[in-house]
Amino acid sequence: MAELLQYLITGISVGMVYALIALGFALIWKSSSVANLALGQIVLISSWFTYAMLAQAQFPVWLAFPLVILFALGLGWTIERFALRPLIAQPILALITVTLGIGYFIEGVVTFIWPWSVDALPRLFPREVAHIGPAVISQEYIWVVGICLVVFALLTLFFRHHKMGIAMRATADDQMAVQACGIPVTTVFSRSWMFACVVAAIGGILIASIGGITHGLVQTGLKAFSVVILGGLDSFLGAVVAGPIIGLCESLGGGYLTPYLWAGVKDIIPFVIIIIVMVIKPYGLFGEVRIERI
Amino acid sequence: MSLPSGTRNYTYAQDMAILRTKTHWALFIGFLVLLLTAPLYLGNYWLGVANLIGITLIAAIGLNLLIGYCGQLSIGHAGFIAVGAYTSAVLTNRLELPFLVGLICAGLMAGLIGLIFGLPSVRVKGFYLAITTIAAQFIIIWVINHWSITGGFVGIKVPYASIAGFEFRSETSQFYLIVSIAAICTFFAKNLARTRVGRAFIAIRDNDLAAEVMGINLLYYKLLAFFIGCFMAGIAGSLLAHWIGFLNAEQFSLTESILYIGMIIIGGLGTTIGPIFGVVFIRLLQQILTVEIVPFLERTFTMLPAGFATGVTPMLFGLVIILFLILEPRGLAHRWALFKSAYRLWPFSY
Repeated sequence: MAELLQYLITGISVGMVYALIALGFALIWKSSSVANLALGQIVLISSWFTYAMLAQAQFPVWLAFPLVILFALGLGWTIERFALRPLIAQPILALITVTLGIGYFIEGVVTFIWPWSVDALPRLFPREVAHIGPAVISQEYIWVVGICLVVFALLTLFFRHHKMGIAMRATADDQMAVQACGIPVTTVFSRSWMFACVVAAIGGILIASIGGITHGLVQTGLKAFSVVILGGLDSFLGAVVAGPIIGLCESLGGGYLTPYLWAGVKDIIPFVIIIIVMVIKPYGLFGEVRIERI
Repeated sequence: MSLPSGTRNYTYAQDMAILRTKTHWALFIGFLVLLLTAPLYLGNYWLGVANLIGITLIAAIGLNLLIGYCGQLSIGHAGFIAVGAYTSAVLTNRLELPFLVGLICAGLMAGLIGLIFGLPSVRVKGFYLAITTIAAQFIIIWVINHWSITGGFVGIKVPYASIAGFEFRSETSQFYLIVSIAAICTFFAKNLARTRVGRAFIAIRDNDLAAEVMGINLLYYKLLAFFIGCFMAGIAGSLLAHWIGFLNAEQFSLTESILYIGMIIIGGLGTTIGPIFGVVFIRLLQQILTVEIVPFLERTFTMLPAGFATGVTPMLFGLVIILFLILEPRGLAHRWALFKSAYRLWPFSY
């Protein structure tokens, strides 16, 4: 029972982080229909940057985090301005492969600057373990859930009420009409990349504070795709619902299937879910089914 | 087909000929002679590079059929190569079957796995398919790492290739083996693209809905593209296994898959000559960078950071892919075509 509860809590909290990273994907997809496959590498480089600020430069947390946010904003702006802007209205193959190229480049930058490739973030959350009923878990998981909920709330409010948020939703709906209304579409694209990188960076910091910074963060970013796929590509609600589902599958499957299968089955579950969803319901739980015409 | 002025086609055979003029033939035979005598003046080291290029070329041709002609994006190509490599390794090492059986089975096995993961392509495309194939890559590598028969994380030794008692031990003998298979694959791909199948692939790439309305069986042709593409990946994997002699799943990472896509984009999607340009360009760049330039720079500038050697290659490749997509999306093949027509039309280029 304690075991089950433990799996449930860790699963939900890791799933929330996946959902956060997935929101970073959905933001870009919704506004500019670019599939950002460099998500994992963006997560990786922003957690390394956090490490550089906190551990290498020894900045206090109140200074380090704004710097990380600024870095993520700059990263998003740079990627959009120099790699995606020249490719507007190109076929989807070019858009996907250019993000692959960006990911490759970022990976090179990361090995260039931090060649030792594994490290732990300084502790961000209190050290004491928490007792929930019979389960004993480290406090990080609870903090992670809290922070994710706050970010979700902020994003929802932003999209509901802020002018730029409304412009983004409108752009997602119809680019031509939006341009006709006088909304600068390129600015919207640029902003959506910047926000997406910030969201991915926050997700990266949270997941790195749980599991340390490794090259596996790239895979974490890719696991977020299973959230996007399960929830539906263009649905924020989908991402928020599917995140915990994937997290639960991963932690429960990892906990109870490992004795029957090979070790490390946990890492593969999100990818198996992708294949299953693709065969059964390719547009996900909340995704819009596109009807194509010739 | 662009021909020099005054050359006209009077028969169907002339129209379909790959080598049409005497200049074509002369250049082709010259190239063949140069290629087949390469072991005489290439050292063992460069012959090894040539072998790697040949093996990569076989896989890249398969990927080009899949992405360039049929438009089905696959980011798991290294995974399919791994399937072929390990199939061949297990058959020849553990079961001690002959090399040819291993080679064919490697192709068939990779093709079969490709069919399974290509199945979603019937309903989805673009980004969805990209994600499916990434998932395929991770699942394949995970299975290889954990299944006892493949040697897991430790790796597996692979014996030399041998046909009818002759062992391909030296780089020279392997060069001839690899070059002949690569030539067969190039010829096959060139001709496949000009048949009904190839035209169906192109129709699907340009608009799969319209293709279906025209009476092209989408299920059949998409899966056929996956099968052929992954079959070639399997053949390349088998050759790679016997060439290196030792397999470890780390050789088939996701970055390798991305590099394959980079190769065919740099070369030019949907052309026969494209993969050749792309593969030679990327592999030579990789070799020169890691063996010549980076050690030279490290010796000259001693204050370079420790990650320079491992970090600069992916940075440069990422940059090359991005720049090619932005500046020359049709790849080196397009430049080649421009050069050819400029040569043909000189000095009256209109």
